[in-house]
Amino acid sequence: MRQRGGWARVVAALIVLAALVTTAWAQVIDRELRERVVQKITIALAGFGPFALNGEDLGKLGASVLAADLRFTTVFDVIDPTALPFEPRSVQFDQERPLFPGLNSLKIQYLALGQLSSRGREVILEARLFEVGSGNMVFGKRYVGDPKFFRLIVHRFADDIMFNLTGEKGVAQSRIAYVSALNRTAKEIFVMDYDGANPVAVTGNQSINLSPRWSPDGRLIAYTSYRNGNPDLFLLNFDSGRRDTLSAQRGLNASPGWSPDGQWLAFAMSAGGGTNLYLIPRAGGTPKALTVGPNISVSPSFSPSGNQIVFNSDRGGTPQIYVMDVDGTNLRRLTFRGNYNSSPRWSPRGEKIVFMCQLAGNQICLINPDGGGLQQLTTQGGNEDPAWSPDGRHIAFTSTRMGRRDIFVMHADGTEQTRLTFTGQDNYLPDWSP
Amino acid sequence: MTPKTGMRTAFAATVLVVCVFLLGCPKRPGVTQAGGGAIGPSSAAEASSAAPTATPAAPRVPTASAPRVGETPVARPPLPAEARVQPSAAGVPAPTGSPLKDVFFEFDKSDIRDDQKAALNENVGWLKANVRAKISIEGHCDERGTPEYNLALGERRAKAVKEYVVGAGIVPDRIATISYGKERPFVLGHDESAWKWNRRGHFVISEK
Repeated sequence: MRQRGGWARVVAALIVLAALVTTAWAQVIDRELRERVVQKITIALAGFGPFALNGEDLGKLGASVLAADLRFTTVFDVIDPTALPFEPRSVQFDQERPLFPGLNSLKIQYLALGQLSSRGREVILEARLFEVGSGNMVFGKRYVGDPKFFRLIVHRFADDIMFNLTGEKGVAQSRIAYVSALNRTAKEIFVMDYDGANPVAVTGNQSINLSPRWSPDGRLIAYTSYRNGNPDLFLLNFDSGRRDTLSAQRGLNASPGWSPDGQWLAFAMSAGGGTNLYLIPRAGGTPKALTVGPNISVSPSFSPSGNQIVFNSDRGGTPQIYVMDVDGTNLRRLTFRGNYNSSPRWSPRGEKIVFMCQLAGNQICLINPDGGGLQQLTTQGGNEDPAWSPDGRHIAFTSTRMGRRDIFVMHADGTEQTRLTFTGQDNYLPDWSP
Repeated sequence: MTPKTGMRTAFAATVLVVCVFLLGCPKRPGVTQAGGGAIGPSSAAEASSAAPTATPAAPRVPTASAPRVGETPVARPPLPAEARVQPSAAGVPAPTGSPLKDVFFEFDKSDIRDDQKAALNENVGWLKANVRAKISIEGHCDERGTPEYNLALGERRAKAVKEYVVGAGIVPDRIATISYGKERPFVLGHDESAWKWNRRGHFVISEK
């Protein structure tokens, strides 16, 4: 019996050892798999030879805009042009085939080739994307437009590359709305390209305009304006240029948030004792109360399913993040660390909520909708008012790290924090278009 | 289950796991991999929700020439500008010499501080002496915290001041309230020396 038990122990030990080795091995493989999943698509850019228009080399500009767009996706590894075994800007159409073996040996998977020309007042970008290994053309397109849309033309090419190679809609053609303080009194809403180019004012009433929010179809911006002497809620229609008053109750009509189907807005009104959240049809109507009581509830943001709303409230004594169902029931508090958590936004894929946390100053944090997984993304300066890119890969936010407030963007993991605004006195409250 | 069969099961499971990993471990990614779709799923739902790229919903091109076959016109309608309206003086710090005094608050608070009641009582006295005057009480905040939360905090401060003044015998009809959140700081600066002046209830005479 004793001998048999000893033998069993040896076998057991061996099995445990085997299991441990297997587990360790499995972890190695698992890590390798994960690394592979995040491995970027390697792409080289060529063409975009010199093409002067109004004293500017659009070829050079096009190559730099395309490289920046593709890098920003976090999906592509854009190969440094100096690392290529040829002069990329001298490559012409139909000269690309002999380059493939060299690119292949550098493990470069794709080659994007652009060629510029003009026709009358229009500029033409002839664009082709090749898969280096097979030598096949993935797509070829001819983008035509007014030179003032040149950056947009290149953004379109970048988004087409993204869509063709990942099936995901890119954000290169998206825009960011924000508030820009022109002086001590006028705070106007501006719209700029997602990379900070082409800022344009869409309000001009010289009062305070706040909280721009794009409708899910990108055709409207909801915002609060003091133009009539009270903070009223407006809808600006980009197609018609109309500005309709959606809510003008005495007191606050503030911090709108769109339902994912674009049919409703949640917003804060101070009619009555506290400041509470209400739901109003996009076409106008009687607001329906979602919260009641003497406390503050502001900054609602719908979950992508449209079933829940995350918002900011001081009902627990300090500003904290809360979640409730869209009918106002099932209220629960999400944040418990820090005395000031504010301006939450639900991610487009639903798995995260980004908000301003107060951990060693105002910072941008992520939290899971179940309250777990708190993660701090910023450390430099004061940071607030985060807003997701439509694909959920990036976050725009306000930062004071350069002194005044400016709009910055970063990847959703907090890397590559980049300043976008350089004009005006203060730039804040960003919202990313679909 | 005896310990022996348990062990056998464990062993079998281990072998199975090893096999699964051996079989399931795909080839390393080659540069010739077709499609390059290594990043993320490209489900039909995503594909259909994305903007059609081959046949774009052509925005109006502001040029005379119609787009030719096989071309992708790229344009964007101009953004609507707002006609200029007369700038409102509301919220702009009043010139000094106003007979009404500001009252100041603690951070994220709207309670009337004891040391502010003397100023408020003076304002009440003025309102009692000027029975036809109407006022607006503006609620303001310091720059800390988010703009949207501060709108609500400023609203609460304005209402707290109004409540005090009404409690002292002034009819509510004479008093409007408005919040400017942190949008109209009285003193520019990034520390308490500025903040303490910006957390205020500001009295504006709207009708004398």
